[in-house]
Amino acid sequence: MSNLSDLLEKLGLARKGGVDNAGWGRTLVVAIVSFIYFLPVLMIIFTAFKPQDAALSVPPTLSPTSLFGLIPDQYVFTPTLENFGSVFSRVMTAGGQPEPTGFDRFFFNSIVISSVSVLLALVIGTLASYGFSRYPLKGNDTYLFIILTTRMLPAIVVIIPVILMFRVVGLSGSYLGIIMLYTAFNLAFTIWMMKSFFDELSTDVEDAARIDGSSETKVFFKICLPQVVAGLAATFVFGLILTWNEFLFALLLTGVDTRTVPVAMNQAVSSGGRGTDWTLLASIETLFLIPVFLVTFFLQGHLLRGVTFGTVKR
Amino acid sequence: MSTIEIRKVTKKFGEFQAVKDADLSVKAGEVVCLLGPSGCGKTTTLRMIAGLESATSGDVLIAGQRMNELSPEKRDIAMVFQFYALYPALTVGENIAMPLHYEGVSPAEKKARVGMVADILHLTGVLDRLPGHISEGEKQRVAVARAIVRDPNCFLFDEPLSRLDVELRHSMRGQIKGVLSNLSKATVIVTHDQLEALTMADRIAIMRDGVIEQVGTPHEVFAKPANVFVASFIGTPQMNLVEADLRSVKDGKAELTFDGAPLAITVNPAVSALKPSKVTIGIRPRAFAPVSKAGKSTITAMAELIEPMGAETLIHARTKSGNDIRVVVPREKRVKMGEVMHLEPDAAQTHVFADGGKAVRA
Amino acid sequence: MTVRTSPTPISFFAPSADNWKLAIFVGVIATLLATLALPAAAAFWVVGVAAALIAAAFVVNAYRRRYYGGLLVAPAIAVLFVMNIFPLLWSLGLSFFAYQSNQQSIRFVGLQNYVKVLTNDLAAEANWYALINTAMFVVFTVSAQMIVGFLLAMLFAKQFPLRRYLLILVLTPMMLSVVASGVFFTYYYDPTFGILSYVMNNLTGQQFILMDNKVGAVAGIVFADAWMWSPFVMLLVLAGLVSVPKYLYEAAAIDRVSAWRQFWTITFPYIRGLLMLALLFRTIEAFKLADLVILLTKGGNDTMTISYHLIRIANEQNKTSEGAAISYVMLFMVIVLTNLYLYLANRRSQGT
Repeated sequence: MSNLSDLLEKLGLARKGGVDNAGWGRTLVVAIVSFIYFLPVLMIIFTAFKPQDAALSVPPTLSPTSLFGLIPDQYVFTPTLENFGSVFSRVMTAGGQPEPTGFDRFFFNSIVISSVSVLLALVIGTLASYGFSRYPLKGNDTYLFIILTTRMLPAIVVIIPVILMFRVVGLSGSYLGIIMLYTAFNLAFTIWMMKSFFDELSTDVEDAARIDGSSETKVFFKICLPQVVAGLAATFVFGLILTWNEFLFALLLTGVDTRTVPVAMNQAVSSGGRGTDWTLLASIETLFLIPVFLVTFFLQGHLLRGVTFGTVKR
Repeated sequence: MSTIEIRKVTKKFGEFQAVKDADLSVKAGEVVCLLGPSGCGKTTTLRMIAGLESATSGDVLIAGQRMNELSPEKRDIAMVFQFYALYPALTVGENIAMPLHYEGVSPAEKKARVGMVADILHLTGVLDRLPGHISEGEKQRVAVARAIVRDPNCFLFDEPLSRLDVELRHSMRGQIKGVLSNLSKATVIVTHDQLEALTMADRIAIMRDGVIEQVGTPHEVFAKPANVFVASFIGTPQMNLVEADLRSVKDGKAELTFDGAPLAITVNPAVSALKPSKVTIGIRPRAFAPVSKAGKSTITAMAELIEPMGAETLIHARTKSGNDIRVVVPREKRVKMGEVMHLEPDAAQTHVFADGGKAVRA
Repeated sequence: MTVRTSPTPISFFAPSADNWKLAIFVGVIATLLATLALPAAAAFWVVGVAAALIAAAFVVNAYRRRYYGGLLVAPAIAVLFVMNIFPLLWSLGLSFFAYQSNQQSIRFVGLQNYVKVLTNDLAAEANWYALINTAMFVVFTVSAQMIVGFLLAMLFAKQFPLRRYLLILVLTPMMLSVVASGVFFTYYYDPTFGILSYVMNNLTGQQFILMDNKVGAVAGIVFADAWMWSPFVMLLVLAGLVSVPKYLYEAAAIDRVSAWRQFWTITFPYIRGLLMLALLFRTIEAFKLADLVILLTKGGNDTMTISYHLIRIANEQNKTSEGAAISYVMLFMVIVLTNLYLYLANRRSQGT
């Protein structure tokens, strides 16, 4: 038994005492696991670089290089950047000239709609969660639960009245409409997350500031908000990931000018009746992944610390 | 035997040397306090004994065995943490019982032993409560109870009383001392509070910047400080440390120039070996006798601030050239602000420190 | 002390400008009446006015009593009211009508839709299967996500070199668009071109088709869903693991507590709340599982879920009001389930 634990210790899988750094042994193990977990994504990214004929081959091609002869030639494809070009401009009708696909516009739409709605939800939701946390109403839990309920129904249920409503007030196909809707749908999550962050803060400092004569506004902006920056980052990332990839609302409520990438991606790969265009889908998804990947990467330090602060009672 | 010994222990965090060549040995039944200002390396030293940090070099011996490479589990020690480190999800009783699971004792015996230590530390009433629902003083006692519930090689305390208020601290000092004296184990207590060290320890090790400056009984470190740092650190009010020029030593009397005037005081015979040089004179505030007339062996200073301390009065006085002198006089002795005082130091409590800060003593 | 001015209760019927309870009551009634009686265009403006009225009541109430809670919550309430609660009420209203979105006629039928859903539909075997399948997917996907997410979190709990870069790799599946990952899973599972079949064919020497039977189809869907959303659970659990104070593990080392006991007495209490939160959000999402089913099996091989069934009825068959009735039955189930969670979570946190 002790031999086993010694072995694990050497591999960096278990570590005795208060030593927090598990060392390179752990890195090796986690790298293998992470790589396997990442494989399906990697295959999508590789597909984006495959020539059309290599996309659907038997046996499947797996790697752009033979890794110095490690991988047999039949599994190797020659990488190309052509697919990324065809995202933005390609031949749409048989024998025709390449036409712009409008994807530059769709990417722009996705970025604007997601970031504005997530930020808006963050502002409104943070104010509300501060209110719920510091000035509890009678039956606070009930209100919070009703807010949570708005996330429980399948989108399809809410969407019909929303479509009708948007048509009536002329919001369908507009930025404002879809942004408002996404804001509302992010609110529930934002309020629940941010409330738990505010609940964790000690109110002593705030009270001290009040006694020193700070206004409520100042207490909120100067004392509370700086302490939950991490939580804001975490909520932003989660909200962004969900909004970025939202499909159903976007499908039914965006017009030609406001179409987001997931909708356009779905149309691009399923149109033409030739079955799925794998390389096109993969290159769109690869490009589409980059912004949210970068945001998550740069905020991930906050992400960990943020959630920590928020939801655990100390 | 329950002993602790560290030999030439050094701890480096990158370039920073937290502990330098520390030597210390603790006999069975002895209580040693590691005393020093914050950041002096005393907690690091304790954590190296516990195995929570590994020593960069040197040996850590517990019960006579070298234990450098052993994890804390294998050292068979008990420790009280500064923040108590009570398991928040467990009741007080379960907290105290945690060290017993390893020994595999029967539930009945566990209960009996927990009951016994709870009795000693007056915790019987709160055994079913969670750590979040008891007072600071109770938390502290639970931490002690968890340490003494088993029979370890030694006890380690990291700032055990720092989170308690003054009164509680006073009563806990007594309680812990009482408990420890019945256990006859080697014990190391880390503290930055000299009163805690002076009252609880058999011996005190004073640390500064990672170096153990002096090890001695409370009496020794107070009466015979090894250097200027120890002299200034131990004792309240702080010892007066003034610079003077040593001219010569005749018949056990040192001829000095202090404050621009000659001063002759009786000093330790070892001082006669010193060449004429700059020295530091250390005189305890309580070692002055106010006399009516200036003489060869008196210091003249003017009272600037008077702080009554109850039975005694603390006077801050200033000499002509601006040296600050603290004097403690009995309550009956009335001193007015601005009054010129002639102070005669008590030879037995006067210390001479050579240029490097080391005490000159036979 | 926080300023927690609990307002002196206002008489419910006092028609004062700061009586927000009355405002909500009037607003909801007006909304209901408007949606039932007026054409959509007019109804919307009534709702807008109602929302404004409620918001105004909150603001006045807050201002008069220096009760800032109302002020802070008001914008969120207004947005949620217009974009969420109003559509919900509207669709609740619709569930009492016979209405199809592709026709103009609308007819009040009372509880008939519910009766139909609860008797005919639930009696119909296919719908029972959809319900059972949904329950099955909830159990399988959520437990798979919890287990995988938890194990991944354990791997990442300690500091080690390159942790930051490896963590982002594991988080990436969550960032993919469901359309892309779903479609690509059909490719991975494809009997001719898919990598899975290729490997299995070579191993067994037989043609391997994952999705041609129920077990395979369910496994395929559960695998894809768990792969995408385990990182969500992992992040929450990891946050809990990281938040355990280091000195507790040090104390446990000194007390010679076994790793097993350490986990249950020290680590687990810290992540319990987060596990419950992850469980709550993932269960709600799993209940709504439809997209992967549509992409991977189109409901074939008995993988129909209630949510997909709903999309078919409401969107493909245009039976809007019937769909609304089904979704409210569903909502009822989710609410019961989540309340059960929250009750258990609260009881545990109060009990300890």
